[in-house]
Amino acid sequence: MSFFGFDQPDLEREKLRFLEGELNSNEDIPTYTWAENYDGLGDALQEGGDELNDETFGGIGTVGKDFDFSNPALPGAEDTQKYRQGINQSPLPSQKAFTSPLSTIPVPAPAISLESIWDDKSPFSLRLNGAARTPSRGPPTSTPRQSGIRTLQEIEAEMRAAAEQSREAVALQQRQQQLLLQQQREEEEFYYRQRQQQEQQQEQELRQRLLYQQQEQQQLQQLQRLQQQQHLQQQREQQQHHRTPPPRMLPVSQSPRFLEHQRQILLLQQQQEQQQLLRLQQLEEQLRVEELERQLRAQQITSQNHYERQQPSGPTLAEMEARHQQQLMQQQQHLRQRSQSPAARGGQHNGQHNVPLQESMPYLPQSIQLQQRLLSEMAQAEFLRDIQGLSQADQEALRMEAVRKILETEKMEEKRRRKAAKIAHMSKYNDLMTQSDKDFITRIQVSQLVSQDPYADDFYAQVYGAIMRSRMGLGVEDERVLKFGSSGGVGLGVPIKGSNRRPSAMQRMQQQVERIVSNAKKREEEKGLHAVHSLQGALGRTSGRSYKASPRQLLQVESSNGPTSSPTLSNAQPHPHISKQDIASEDGAAQAARLGREALGGAADATDLVRRDPLTHREVLVTLETLYDLVMNVEQLKHDEPHPEEQGEAVEEWKQQRDELVEQIWTKLQVMVPLETSNPHPFISLLSAAKGKKLLPRVTRNLDSQRMFTLLTLLIACFSQLDVIANAPILENPEDTPERASVERQTQAFLSSVMQSILPTIVKGELRLVTGLLGLLMDRNDVVAVARTKPGVALLTLLLTRVELIKQSIPEEIPSSADEEQWQMMFDHLFQLLTPHFTRMFPTRTEEGEAAESQDQPVWQFLAALALHATIQQHQILVTSLREKVLENVVSAKKGWGMSEEERQAKLANVDLFLHALGLESSQITV
Amino acid sequence: MDPSSSGIQEPFDLIRLSLSERVFVKLRGDREMTGILHAYDGHMNLILSDVEETIMIVDENTAGGQGAVSVAKRKMDMLFVRGDGVILVSPPSRT
Repeated sequence: MSFFGFDQPDLEREKLRFLEGELNSNEDIPTYTWAENYDGLGDALQEGGDELNDETFGGIGTVGKDFDFSNPALPGAEDTQKYRQGINQSPLPSQKAFTSPLSTIPVPAPAISLESIWDDKSPFSLRLNGAARTPSRGPPTSTPRQSGIRTLQEIEAEMRAAAEQSREAVALQQRQQQLLLQQQREEEEFYYRQRQQQEQQQEQELRQRLLYQQQEQQQLQQLQRLQQQQHLQQQREQQQHHRTPPPRMLPVSQSPRFLEHQRQILLLQQQQEQQQLLRLQQLEEQLRVEELERQLRAQQITSQNHYERQQPSGPTLAEMEARHQQQLMQQQQHLRQRSQSPAARGGQHNGQHNVPLQESMPYLPQSIQLQQRLLSEMAQAEFLRDIQGLSQADQEALRMEAVRKILETEKMEEKRRRKAAKIAHMSKYNDLMTQSDKDFITRIQVSQLVSQDPYADDFYAQVYGAIMRSRMGLGVEDERVLKFGSSGGVGLGVPIKGSNRRPSAMQRMQQQVERIVSNAKKREEEKGLHAVHSLQGALGRTSGRSYKASPRQLLQVESSNGPTSSPTLSNAQPHPHISKQDIASEDGAAQAARLGREALGGAADATDLVRRDPLTHREVLVTLETLYDLVMNVEQLKHDEPHPEEQGEAVEEWKQQRDELVEQIWTKLQVMVPLETSNPHPFISLLSAAKGKKLLPRVTRNLDSQRMFTLLTLLIACFSQLDVIANAPILENPEDTPERASVERQTQAFLSSVMQSILPTIVKGELRLVTGLLGLLMDRNDVVAVARTKPGVALLTLLLTRVELIKQSIPEEIPSSADEEQWQMMFDHLFQLLTPHFTRMFPTRTEEGEAAESQDQPVWQFLAALALHATIQQHQILVTSLREKVLENVVSAKKGWGMSEEERQAKLANVDLFLHALGLESSQITV
Repeated sequence: MDPSSSGIQEPFDLIRLSLSERVFVKLRGDREMTGILHAYDGHMNLILSDVEETIMIVDENTAGGQGAVSVAKRKMDMLFVRGDGVILVSPPSRT
């Protein structure tokens, strides 16, 4: 039985393994199991401190809140025990234990006193010691922390013992005391003498010690939690004494008497608790003392007035505190001498060395410190007022100050408490989930991100990201996709600038995802073996991804089914369905035939020319769809380009794949179809649709320069066949018809897409090529008609500027004189052809104002380019023919009849564009 | 070109041919529109740009008993057409 397809972990076994130190944390993680991430933390939990469970859950008697504070005496039993410990071992630094709970000072054979007693006298001694070993515990060590790990059995035993304990607590206590007394009779005699001595010697110290204890208990009263901690600490220490077996008594077997031993321990615990109770009673006394002390404070301060005056700056806080403590001490000593019972005095043996009061101060809770400080400050103010006889206003001010301070402190305190409460409130959710839970959820989330084709699934985000990256100036190679071999990947978002936290998070995610993917693969394999369990993992995944969802197909038609079963269009044809293989072979044959024709001499071989009708609109669209598919495949392939450092085979394969696709595109473009095949040429037909024009830049990116030259040559040779040239007269229509809008749209698409894709080729071309292109253009097209269209003007300008650039370029590239002569001849021919039509090149005004000027601008640009190449005679011709147009522009601009400033500027800029090429300027023209 | 090699497998492939071309769309409620098709899906939801919509309004309250038909036109730059209203999608008639 497995859960979600994961191996059922055996937690119990794991735990045991962990305890035996077998669990290897560096283990391979080949499959996902719950146990995979089981780090044994559950066992490492600090289970020490369970002693309080009894108290918390009412296991032991009743520990009510209604402590009897009025009884200041300590019970003799506790005294004896404490005392015994104090004698038997070097004085235990119990104070240290209070203040630094994690104190790692090894307690040297702490249990000796009790254990040795057992050893001597008790009939159970051996077994009891043996029972101290817990069943599942590792080799016993002497470090106190080892006892923190306890097993369930142990705790259960304790609980049971506690229940029993609560029933016979009194009897047991008596029995224990009797037992102890009986066992230690001889020792006790010695101790008693020593105790007398010590009592005398340490009388003073003990009083101070008591004072410290009382301080501590004040603390206890005000912070219940701290009290519990201390209590816990004490108990733990006590318990450790008994639970860590001395080395010489290493346990040999488990004993049924184990419970008995536990009971003894609990007895001791109870004694401790009683001691605590008594301490609280002491505290009561302390409180009364403090009350008295407060009443007396003014008096005390008065008595110290002299001292105060000696310090002009007034006493510092520490001094005040010290003095305060001093007074407190004196008073308490006085009080104690009156009221202390012998038993209480005996209790002082507990701690034999004393810590100076000041040293203990930092351990007081902040609230008490604050209170004391405030009180002392207030007292100071009070005394100042009383003694130094301050004015009424000053007193008032001081009181206000004091009130303000108190309020402030209260506010701070309130704030702090609220914060603490908030943290406490939230902390109840702490560790609600284990790390493996979190990992599991992360995995579910991340696995939703993994897809077979991260580019396509995340297409818009990827494209947007690419644009963002190029804007941010990041490299294109900074892919935002995590790839995992051929199996898929995760699309990443747009990079966040200036974040250094991101990369590590990304790496973490990548590792996570890689693990998930490998796990998923494994599971997939398993699933293949056990088809019955195919529902495995179904609950762990959300079903369906809406962004991927496609409508359910009602008809699932296999294209390769027979002709009768297929309703598709292809089967509506009278002739039988042709399978794809057939098509491919036919294409191959056609290709071979074409290649053969080209080898024979291409277009020149007129005999082989097959005249065809031009492509119908539908054929164009179908071809374009195929081309789009191919182009998109190539683009997809580019994303999957293998790394150069990968083995050569993959790179070879990839290149071959790409070349194949490009070859198909080239064939589909039909550039190599002879020029005369049809009018318009199939390639030109493809450009008749707007999407055909838009496709061209994406195609030309993948073509080598040789093919680009071929394409460019074809385009220029058939330039006038282009729809934008043929339909250009529609643009002259002043009416705003749908046709004109359509042609406008096509023209824009041509200028932005087709011109852009041939631009790099022309810019790279040598003078000879440009000359050839211009010659071809004039040879095969009506150059005057072409020049009157926007695309024509753009093309001519492009050619002329390229030649200009060649002329200005560095000496090595300066073409041979033969080429230059050729060019000049060609140019002269063009100039001659265009001369009568210069003024008619400007487009008909369909708009007014500035927009009209921007329509004229390409023509002015072309004329300027023409002027740059023109000889002096040609200049004159240019100026003569354009004189009127120039003058008109300048005059209207200067007179500014109802024209906006922008329009005037545009007019002058256009004219200047042309005049500058001639070495003139519009400002030279005087109206 | 052989239509069988045109890759047309299903009716939607024909609509695909008209992507980024001007199409004529007939809609329920006596509406027609032409626009440039940018996208479509299996529900025939369409994204059109540069749309001109023609609405036939039949006024039945005229005296003759015969409804008088008036035509309203409007233009939109970009339009989402919900597929359940589409009756017909075709390329515009070519002259």
